[in-house]
Amino acid sequence: MAVQKSVWRRLTWPWKPESELEAGDSIVRNLLLHWFPSQVSLPSLSFRYSFWLGSASAVLFLILTITGIVLMFNYVPSVERAYASVKDIDYVVSFGWFIRGLHRIGAHLMVAVVFLHGVRVFLTGGYKNGSGAGQNRPVNWIIGVVLLLLTLFLSFTGYLLPWDQLAYWAITVGTNIAKSAPIFGVQSRFLLLGGNTIAQGALLRFYVLHCFFLPMAVIFLFSWHMWRVRKDGGLACVDQLALDQKAQKSVPVKSKTYSLLGIAGRRSVHIETALVDEEMYSTHSSPHLTRRLLLTILLTLAIASTMAIVIRAPLEEPANPAVTSNPAKAPWYFLWLQELVADSTIRIRGFTVNGALVGGIIVPTILLGVLIAWPFLDNSSVRAAGIWFSPERRLQNTVFLTIVVLIVAFTIIGTFLRGPYWGFYWPWQTWPTLPKKF
Amino acid sequence: MPPLPSTERKPAHKETATETRRSFFAKMGIGGLLTGLAGQITILFRALMPNVLYEPPRIFKIGKPDQFPEGVTFIESQRVFVFRNQKQFHAISAECTHLGCTVKMVQFNDPKTVQIQGRSQQEMQEFDCPCHGSKYYGDGTNYAGPAPAPLAWYRMEIAADDGQLVVNLTEPVGQDFRLLV
Repeated sequence: MAVQKSVWRRLTWPWKPESELEAGDSIVRNLLLHWFPSQVSLPSLSFRYSFWLGSASAVLFLILTITGIVLMFNYVPSVERAYASVKDIDYVVSFGWFIRGLHRIGAHLMVAVVFLHGVRVFLTGGYKNGSGAGQNRPVNWIIGVVLLLLTLFLSFTGYLLPWDQLAYWAITVGTNIAKSAPIFGVQSRFLLLGGNTIAQGALLRFYVLHCFFLPMAVIFLFSWHMWRVRKDGGLACVDQLALDQKAQKSVPVKSKTYSLLGIAGRRSVHIETALVDEEMYSTHSSPHLTRRLLLTILLTLAIASTMAIVIRAPLEEPANPAVTSNPAKAPWYFLWLQELVADSTIRIRGFTVNGALVGGIIVPTILLGVLIAWPFLDNSSVRAAGIWFSPERRLQNTVFLTIVVLIVAFTIIGTFLRGPYWGFYWPWQTWPTLPKKF
Repeated sequence: MPPLPSTERKPAHKETATETRRSFFAKMGIGGLLTGLAGQITILFRALMPNVLYEPPRIFKIGKPDQFPEGVTFIESQRVFVFRNQKQFHAISAECTHLGCTVKMVQFNDPKTVQIQGRSQQEMQEFDCPCHGSKYYGDGTNYAGPAPAPLAWYRMEIAADDGQLVVNLTEPVGQDFRLLV
C-alpha cells in the first residue's frame, strides 16, 4: 500500500503541492502546467471578471476534437454513403447518438462562448494596453477575431457533412453568398466546391477543411493567443492593480526580471513583474489556478453532456437538390445573416443590388473591419483597461452593445418568427399547411 | 622558379564595395529559392482546381414533345420548369436568382391577371422561394422579396437524331423565346 501511495503521489504532486518549493516546481516540471506563470495575481483568477469564457471555449474545442476523432472513424465522406453513415452513427453505433449530439452541442456552445468571450473582452476594455512594457494587446484582439471567424467556419463546414436537406440548403445559401462577392466571387465558389454544383467534390473539400485544415489553424492561433496573454502580462485587470500601487508608492522597489540574464537582448516571455509587492496580491498557480481550471473543465463538460442527452442532434431527409425544404433555415448563429440577406436587396430606379452582396458581404465586411480597427481608434486612458463598463468608454460600450443587441434580435427573428417562404409569423400563429411536393 | 606570369585580369564588370561576387550569388540563390517556392505553391493551388468535372451535362434531352402534358412539367434532376402551350415550348430555371434555392411552383385554381411591366397577362401559376421569400410571376419576372432579377429562361431545341426536346442551360434567352414543334 505504501508503494502504491507513493506512485500516486509521484503522479499527482504538481496538482496539490505541499510546500512553496513544490508549488514552484510543479509549474516548471509538469508538461501540462509549464505554460502557466508560477505566480498568478488574484484579480485575474476571479470568476466575476472573466467568467472563464476563454478557458471554456478551449475546453469545448478539446471536447470537439475528441468526439470528432471518434466520429471520423465512423463517417464516410462520400455522397452515396455520408447520409447512411451518419444515420448509422445515430442508430447503430453504440452511444453514437451521444457522441454526435455532444459534438453538435459542443459546436453550438463554442460559437456562443467564443462570441461571449469577445463581448466580455470588449466591455472590460481587455484589448487595451496597460502599464507593462512590451504589451501589444490589440494584436491579441485581432487574433481573437480571427479565431471567432474560424469557429464559425468550422461550424459551417461541419454542417454539410451529414448530407441531409438542412446541410445541403445551408451550404447552397452560404456558397452563393461567396459567389456574389465582387471580382473573385465566382472563382472562390468554384475553388470551395471543387466544381459548379454541390456534389462529391464539395463534400470532400468541406470534410478536409473541417477535420484537418481549420482545426490546425485554430490550434496555431490558439497557441499564439495564449503566448500573447503571457507576453502582455496576463489579463488587463492586473494592470489596474499595478497602477493602483504606483499611485500609492512614490519610490518603486526594484522589480524582478525573468530575462535570460543578459544572454537574450530583449525581455523573455515573462516580462518584468508588474506588481511592486507580488507576494501580497498574487498566489501560486498550482493549485489555485489549476483548481479553477479543472472546475471550468468539469462544468463545461457537464453542461455540454447534459445538453447532448436532452437535445438530440437532428437528421433531416437525405439531400435533395430538387426540393428546397420550406422554410430553409441556416444554423441559428447564421440566421441574423440570413435575415439580413433577405431584407437588404436595394432597388434604386431599376438598378438592383442583390441582398446577397449587401447583407452577405458588405455589411459583415464592414462589421469585421470596425471590429479589427477598434483598438486603434479607442483613445481612452489606461485606467479604462480591464474594468467592466468603464465610464470613460461608456459611448463605445453603448455602440458595441447596440450592434450586439441588433445581431441577437435578428437571430431571434430568424429563429422563431420566420415560417414558410420566410414569411413573418408570431409564435402563437400557426404556419399554413403546404403540400410537401407540388 | 621563374616568376609566374601575372594572372591578374581585368574583371568582367567592376566589383564595387556593395556588390561582391559572393553577395551576387547569394541574391541569385535567394531569388531562385523564392521563385521555386512560388512555383511549388502555384502547383499546389492549381491541383485544387479540377480539370474535369463529373457533373450532369448542361445540354440534355428531356423526352419527346408529345410526352409533355399541357402546362408545366418540373425536371427535378436539372431544376428546370418546362412549359407547354399547345405547340409552343419554353424552359424557365427553378434556381432563385437571390441565393440559388429551388423555387416552388404555386398553381392557381383560376387564371390570375397580373400586371407585368405595364402589360396585363393571364397566369396559371407563380413561383415562390422558400429560403428568403422571393416571389416570381408565371413568366419568371420577380415581384417581391430580395430576388434581384427574373428567373433565367433557357434555349430549347429539337434533337436532330431522335426528335427529343433538348434544354440548353448554357444559353439564356429572352422571355419572348418559344420553341414551335
